[in-house]
Amino acid sequence: MRIKTIIAVGAVVAVVAGVFAWREYSRGHKDTASREVAQTITAGDLLAAFRADEAAATARFVGTSEQVIAVSGIIREMGQEADGRWNVTLETGEDPGVECEFTAVPTQWTTGTQVTVKGICTGMDDLFGHILMQRCVAAE
Amino acid sequence: MKNHRSILLTLALLPMLASAQERYATRSGLISFFSETPVENIEAHNRKVSSVLDVTSGAFQFAVVIKSFEFEKALMQEHFNENYMESNTYPKADFKGTVEGFGSAQLATPGEHKVTVSGDLTIHGVTQKVSHPGTITVAKDGTFKAVSDFIIKPEDHGIKIPGVVRKNIAEEITVKVRMDYAKM
Repeated sequence: MRIKTIIAVGAVVAVVAGVFAWREYSRGHKDTASREVAQTITAGDLLAAFRADEAAATARFVGTSEQVIAVSGIIREMGQEADGRWNVTLETGEDPGVECEFTAVPTQWTTGTQVTVKGICTGMDDLFGHILMQRCVAAE
Repeated sequence: MKNHRSILLTLALLPMLASAQERYATRSGLISFFSETPVENIEAHNRKVSSVLDVTSGAFQFAVVIKSFEFEKALMQEHFNENYMESNTYPKADFKGTVEGFGSAQLATPGEHKVTVSGDLTIHGVTQKVSHPGTITVAKDGTFKAVSDFIIKPEDHGIKIPGVVRKNIAEEITVKVRMDYAKM
């Protein structure tokens, strides 16, 4: 009887562990819109922070593990790629901008619109100096 | 005298100006990689690769932010950044070199041109000399698309794959580069 109980408990534990492992393995990315914002900053200040000290800015805004930041600014340019994604560049007052990638953008957005973007900052591009943001959504 | 100096200065700057006019660039290039094993297939895409190519000299440079690689599964992306690429320590990759088989003459000829790209590829802080074939297709509007597929081995760049997942990750990773260049 005791052996049967141990086997039954072991089987249940194995099934639960298997389900947990599978769910963890196949886990998708968290929805940016519902995630907490770790940092809030303007596009100009974000670029200035990276230009002043890239390592410190990377640690703060990219983080050691993925985090969501909110960046506000005026849309300098926006356009849709062939695969349907949108690229929105926020004005910084300098030549490099903050480049934000969206799967969809609000219909009222256009060049010159003041916006706040939630997204994942991945770092600074070495050739053009742009700050890169992914999986972006409009902040409400 | 002042006029002579101006003429000399202009003459000295002319080659640089001419060179600058032949620079092409992209800020939204695509690099994808694929690992195929019997256990599982893994792929990731980075759509924010920047590159500049000077058609006059053939010199080019690619800049890649490692954390811009996107995986379908979040756990794979976490392992890629934290365990394999160590992207907090090595946040960038780059490729600097020259392209052979493509110059002003090819740029003026719409169609497909076979090229060879050679240079220093730095990944995970380790630089390797590489040379790969590619294709540049020139459009009638003067823009062009560069395509290259090649293989890299993680071990060549000091990337260690733990034994427990050794069967999940291929020893040879297929890399696909797709870049649409426009005049700067």
